[in-house]
Amino acid sequence: MRSKINFYLIEYALNALLREKYKSFFIMSIFTLLTFLLTSVFFITNSIKYELQSTVDTLPQIIVQKIKAGRHYDIDESVVDDVLDIAGVDDAVARVWGYYYFENAGVNFSIVGIDAYEKQYKKSFENIIEDFDFATLEQTPSMVVGRGVKEIMKQSYYDEYFNFIKPDGSLKRVDVAGVFDGQTQLESNDMIVMPKETLKEIFGMDEMQATDIVVKVKNPQEVSTVAAKIKLIYPDTRIITTQDLQISYQNIFDYKSGIFLALFVIAIFTFFIIIYDKASGLSSEEKREIGILKAIGWKIDDILKEKFYEAFILSLFAYLLGVILALLYVYLFQAPILRDIFVGYSQLKTSFELPFIFDLHTLFLVFFLSVPVYVAAIIIPSWKIATLEADEVIR
Amino acid sequence: MPMKKIVLLMLLLSSFVLSSYAKEFMKIASVEPVLVQKGEQKNWCSVCGMNLKKFYKTSYIAHLKDTEPRQYCSIRCLAYDMQNHELDGDIKVVDASTQELIDAKKAYYVVGSKIKGTMSKVSKLAFASKEEAQKFVKKYRGKIVDFASALKMAQDSLKTDSAMVLKKKKKKIYPMGKKVFQKMCKQDIDLSNYDEVNQLKADITTKKLCKHLKEKQLQAVALYLLEVKKADTKEEVAKHIHVTKDEKCPVCGMFVYKYPRWVAQIVFIHNNKEKHLSFDGVADMMKFYFHPNKWGDYGVHDTKEMIKITVTDYYSQKSIDATKAFYVIGSDIYGPMGNELIPFEYEDEAKTFSMDHKGRKVVKFEDITPSEIYELDE
Repeated sequence: MRSKINFYLIEYALNALLREKYKSFFIMSIFTLLTFLLTSVFFITNSIKYELQSTVDTLPQIIVQKIKAGRHYDIDESVVDDVLDIAGVDDAVARVWGYYYFENAGVNFSIVGIDAYEKQYKKSFENIIEDFDFATLEQTPSMVVGRGVKEIMKQSYYDEYFNFIKPDGSLKRVDVAGVFDGQTQLESNDMIVMPKETLKEIFGMDEMQATDIVVKVKNPQEVSTVAAKIKLIYPDTRIITTQDLQISYQNIFDYKSGIFLALFVIAIFTFFIIIYDKASGLSSEEKREIGILKAIGWKIDDILKEKFYEAFILSLFAYLLGVILALLYVYLFQAPILRDIFVGYSQLKTSFELPFIFDLHTLFLVFFLSVPVYVAAIIIPSWKIATLEADEVIR
Repeated sequence: MPMKKIVLLMLLLSSFVLSSYAKEFMKIASVEPVLVQKGEQKNWCSVCGMNLKKFYKTSYIAHLKDTEPRQYCSIRCLAYDMQNHELDGDIKVVDASTQELIDAKKAYYVVGSKIKGTMSKVSKLAFASKEEAQKFVKKYRGKIVDFASALKMAQDSLKTDSAMVLKKKKKKIYPMGKKVFQKMCKQDIDLSNYDEVNQLKADITTKKLCKHLKEKQLQAVALYLLEVKKADTKEEVAKHIHVTKDEKCPVCGMFVYKYPRWVAQIVFIHNNKEKHLSFDGVADMMKFYFHPNKWGDYGVHDTKEMIKITVTDYYSQKSIDATKAFYVIGSDIYGPMGNELIPFEYEDEAKTFSMDHKGRKVVKFEDITPSEIYELDE
């Protein structure tokens, strides 16, 4: 029976809070600001981390590009053989891809060449190979196009086929064998997939050359060693590893986190000053209140409960308000100012949405950092007073 | 204006001609190649089945005892065939500059030039005249030797070259061949009649055993059929050691599933039931292996009760037999419990790793001692 929540006490606590409107409002706004700042920064960092991770995850572990005169150049397919011979390499695939500028519509198509019998370096290509018979695609040069491409071609009256202009000026007719359906989940709408041979002809590439080479390493710990070895065999190449990318992203990120730390310290400092002020003793007004309550017959128990409700209602309300504001600020408005702290530099790609990541850990962390601390800062001094005799307090 | 145009055209043409001269050395025949084998199979090397026209400038013709004349893509395949057959008569090689057949024994060989070898790491190119060879050396480096020493080199490196080729076949060619076979070929090809790749390739094209294939696909499917399907070698399925989320390492007490790259397992029989224990690293597993009773009662008291021990190969991440593996001690790669023994399926890979990561030594399973294991913790 006794464990039931005493609503009279809650009502009293609410009235007590309202009685001291300005003070309550001041504490609550500080509290709200603090939780808002903390949670929004945590939300932003979580989202950016997630975004970076998912970007990095889609990239191949190692990309080998030939560099000539400081520019990306076609690489010999025989490099694949040497790379495969390096211990720890699981697979190496010579990629053929590029962009084709379609002048009539003023758009770039991205074209990817695939060999149906090779291991594919992207899952979505496997789906395309299953859906379309590449053996026949090779015999009569044909391609599979994305929906966007199909529409653009149609505007220029290319329905069944498309004429690509080769580097030597002649035309190459390629039939449209089909359109990807939505389920293949191709990254982009502007993509064309065709057999490697056809694409090499369109791009005027040598038969034994490729755009670049992607390498798969089974043990991620070995990526840097493998990359170093490729660089040693082919000093004329640029080796891009996901680890490099991750490290450079991480570096920028850590640097930015320093700025955040300064903000964080200020916020926490303000909060603890308030707490310290509270904990170092109650005002004479509050002392008198406790004394009167005791004098009219309240038990210590009741007083502490009332004080607990008071503190808890205030801090929980402020906490929830802060979190909701942070959610709106970060995910609805895409964190206008704070975001720039993290993504202000050109090293990071500039346009992206902060993906919605609901991280319970963050919410718990902020909750336990604020609410219990505040509640304790109210309860402890009240308890000190409440244990004294009533007349002693009022006097 | 036509004059200007003509001049321009001439300039263009001459630049084309010049550029074609400056082109890199290619092994593909620029003349009609001489092919001596019978029937359709003449297009391919007798040993490896590679296209002879494509590797014409490194190719050989030889007569062996009791066989038809055979033609090889490279000195590597010739050396390979000479292991099983005795030579009968002379050996002819294609001159790398004139592309004419010459007597191999009188040819000058340029070895170790910048040109890549055919099926070998080091190329060995033949020239009839010494001047041509010297000219070649000037451009592509390397040194000039005679046939005997070139052949000796090919024979000496046969093992490592074959291993290199096999590695590539396993990683790229067999999987491709399998896909091609399943999609493009008749599924009931009788393989018992075929011993050599070029025979099979000839029949695939003439008897239409498969739909139209490109050279690369044809080679892949032929190699797959002969070396995997006919030889009935079990296709390696990359198997990982499976651990459930509640398994803890008996030695250190950590959850094993968190470190899938280091898992080791001991399988044993307890009360007629097969049971297993998982470890987060070879070092912990060896501690248990040496003193099974020290870590608590898990139902295994002696090494004799252990029926299978598996570890995770560092490079391929496959599950391999621990007793046949090679271990690198003292490398700069750390496992979840610090210093580790790093397991490898192949000795050469273990040695490569040891060099890359400053390993102290490479040991076999039976050479691992308890003191060495405990030293790792210091």
